[in-house]
Amino acid sequence: MKSIAICLLALGAAAPAALAQDVFALRVGRAETISQGTLEHAVILVEGGVITVVGQDLPVERGIPIVDLPDAVVMPGLVNCRTRIGVDSRGGGGADLTARASAELYPRQDVWAELLEVGVTTLGIYPPGTGIPGLAVAVKPEGETASEMIVKDPAYLQFYLRSDRSSKKLFTDAFDKLDKYLEKVEKEREKFEKDLEKEKDKEKKDAAVFKPSQPDDDVRPLLDLVTGRLNAVIGIRKAGDWLHLLDVLKERKFEFALQCDLRDDLDLFYIKDEVGKRGLRVIFDPRVVQHPSTRRERNLPAEFVAAGAKLALSPRADSVRAHEDWLQEVGELVRYGLDRQVALRAMTLEPAHVLGLGDKLGSIEAGRAANFVFYDRDPFDPAVKRLGVMIGGRFVSGDLGL
Amino acid sequence: MKTAAKHLTMKNFSLLSLFGALTAMAATPLWSAAPQEDEAADAAPTEVDTDADKYVAVIGGDIHTGTGAVLRGATMLVRNGKIRRIGHDIYIPEAAKVVHAHGYSIYPGMVALSASSRITDGTLSADVDDVESGIAAAEMGDGADADVTVEDWVEDWDQDFETTQAFDEAALRASDSYDPFSSFMVLTLAAGITSVESSNLPLKLRRDKLDDVVMGDGGAVNFNWGSPDARRSTAEDFKKAAAYLREYRAWEAAGDKEAKEPSRRGINSGAIKVLRGEGRAKFSADVAHDLLGIARLAQTYGFRPIIDGCREGWIVADELGRAGVSAIVQPRERRPKPDELMVGPAGSSIENAAILHKSGVQVAVKAMNGNVDLSGIAGRDLLALSIDAGFAVRGGLSEAAALQAVTIVPARILGVDHLVGSLEVGKDADFVITDGDLLHYETHVQLAFVLGEVAYEKNEELYYAHIRPRPKILITDGLKPAETAKDGDEATPPVEEPAPGDDPAPEDTPKPEDEPKPGDDPKPEDEPKPEVPPAQAA
Repeated sequence: MKSIAICLLALGAAAPAALAQDVFALRVGRAETISQGTLEHAVILVEGGVITVVGQDLPVERGIPIVDLPDAVVMPGLVNCRTRIGVDSRGGGGADLTARASAELYPRQDVWAELLEVGVTTLGIYPPGTGIPGLAVAVKPEGETASEMIVKDPAYLQFYLRSDRSSKKLFTDAFDKLDKYLEKVEKEREKFEKDLEKEKDKEKKDAAVFKPSQPDDDVRPLLDLVTGRLNAVIGIRKAGDWLHLLDVLKERKFEFALQCDLRDDLDLFYIKDEVGKRGLRVIFDPRVVQHPSTRRERNLPAEFVAAGAKLALSPRADSVRAHEDWLQEVGELVRYGLDRQVALRAMTLEPAHVLGLGDKLGSIEAGRAANFVFYDRDPFDPAVKRLGVMIGGRFVSGDLGL
Repeated sequence: MKTAAKHLTMKNFSLLSLFGALTAMAATPLWSAAPQEDEAADAAPTEVDTDADKYVAVIGGDIHTGTGAVLRGATMLVRNGKIRRIGHDIYIPEAAKVVHAHGYSIYPGMVALSASSRITDGTLSADVDDVESGIAAAEMGDGADADVTVEDWVEDWDQDFETTQAFDEAALRASDSYDPFSSFMVLTLAAGITSVESSNLPLKLRRDKLDDVVMGDGGAVNFNWGSPDARRSTAEDFKKAAAYLREYRAWEAAGDKEAKEPSRRGINSGAIKVLRGEGRAKFSADVAHDLLGIARLAQTYGFRPIIDGCREGWIVADELGRAGVSAIVQPRERRPKPDELMVGPAGSSIENAAILHKSGVQVAVKAMNGNVDLSGIAGRDLLALSIDAGFAVRGGLSEAAALQAVTIVPARILGVDHLVGSLEVGKDADFVITDGDLLHYETHVQLAFVLGEVAYEKNEELYYAHIRPRPKILITDGLKPAETAKDGDEATPPVEEPAPGDDPAPEDTPKPEDEPKPGDDPKPEDEPKPEVPPAQAA
């Protein structure tokens, strides 16, 4: 807030006509745009908290205030699509498709400001528990009330699938309910069309619109899922679970990301080709793990990317410290062979896609939110220093004046 | 006894079909073209199959069929996971994947009894079941004990509970928790095992897929023979069940609709199942007089029991043989006479398996423990099954019978001998390719196939790849032209041909002579060297 006040003052003196927060230009040494790769000498025009123009060495119109940072590297604010930070409580098993993580949100905690400080500008908070615990919410770590924090609710539907009878049954039971609803709607439609044929009055006939009955609350998320309005994140624990997932999904098609906690002895490499072939998005934690019963190191995130999967990486734990170390741990994967651009994307645009916000944030591109983190050098350089963080076109951390 | 009968009928059948074929050949000129075409469709070289058929041909290896025959340098053709043909000079379709197994041995995959469910649903990584899901398992009412047997699912045998339903339930459970990527499964396959009995169900060790892994319902019904009380009540159960069945048959035969159907109340449905021949009774017993008791019970009610343990079987082997017992033994078990003052023989004997076999008992060998142990002393778990069978050989069992004790006999006990346990036409292509005698401690499994697909490859898995490394066994798409010539050469040497036709392993085929082939490693015995040069000796 302090820095914004400074900006205002500075602006007031230089260009009284321009609205302070509304229009300004960023001129940085290098921008990691994610969508268009790395831009040297980038100029980014921000209007009303949204990026409007991005280019190299663009002239800036007179009167528009400029934040000039010739030595800085800027990248989109970090997006963690899967965390329980800032909320506690432990959930049970079973299926509750109506449970929302947004109901647990508790604003005005120090943790939100601390997260902003380390460059995290968007978070996906998932509901607690196993089985089908419910709906995740996308938030920004600032705001006085829960509704101010919420960016998208629901952001995705969380599932966990384990290879056992009860877990698979939760899946099939939930989708059976959806099938029953769809059958019911189909019958209603048939009846409606029959009635329509009988109708003599032409005007009435034209005016008639089919209104399907509303689905139950525990069916609606699944309906949104299969109609493409909602994503899913499906958590698995080992390669075998994937086959059981295919077994319960059968012919059903919907957008989902596959999530797995990486650990030593994990056998997930068996399924990388199958997952890659489908172009699925995978959510991992940045970790180099050991091949089962050996000490051979494997970079599973890199292997999945090479096989064709899209990659989102979440911090290893739900602490501020883990979010601070996140960049360095991803950097470790880069040193183990993960493509650098893919790594940057895995912390910004890909998790934004998981949250269904890929067209609103996560990259430096016209139309995306002006959420940035500024560094003094390459973000994966171990000696990197964070210069500042901007969210919605406002500096919330760092000492970078306009 | 049933199996012997089956063999007889098989033999008769092959004789009959041979006779049929001869008559057909003789009669062909007199007949119209139609039957001739049928005949031609059955003959290999002109056979036309759809493109969708998947062929695998294993060529050049020594095929141990597990029925007593060894075919040297033979070919086994697999179509869509089933064995299509075994023998020499077999036509190999162009689209076949050809496994060049020259100098290697091919065996049916072993069948492991009483394996831990960990083999098919566990992973090495410990925290999988501990973290989050551990809590979940408790909360979701999913018991931590994974080794739930079918009986546990049937809550009360005395109620009219559809047992088939219970078995379906168990089969579903097993396939729903099946993990084809389990590291234990890799290790078990590396030990030469391709099927396991897990929670009373026969399962295949199939990699990458969940389909067709449950082979049957196991069909064995456990009876308690552990205490005098249990023995009495088990005998009583059979008595009541037999009486009930008599009443039931009489009621059925009378066809009187007015008469009340005999009540099943208080009748052990397991005993009914056994007496109806729908399942086999399984007992666990070791001491000679207990074994005798089971034999008598079985002979009284006319069923063939399975006896797990059978430690003192060697003492009462004749009686067990007459009762048609199938014994599951652990040849490495050592137990002295319980009391030195005892007059008669007692305790374990290394000859147990051999003596039982000689008396006509079907002998199966099981490992000392059904788990895969990653700590402690090696060689006492499932991975040492072949060594266990080797101990039976040390005690006098023939090598052929020892091989059967870990293949076809356990398959019969599990009721899946029509699918696995030997290499015969029409059975599942579950086999292993080894670099030596399957029961030898030096031998490594190089390749394991389940349903005609590679399930294990030594050179690809990190566990044994570096031990006694050998070049990869070549697998090509179709026969290479050079290979065709080579294979032709291999087929021509005057090796005794098996009987013609589809019968892959006629029991009466003499074992072909052990002629060292050019590809074989010369064995030390083959070139005896005198220790002292003759000149010096003189």
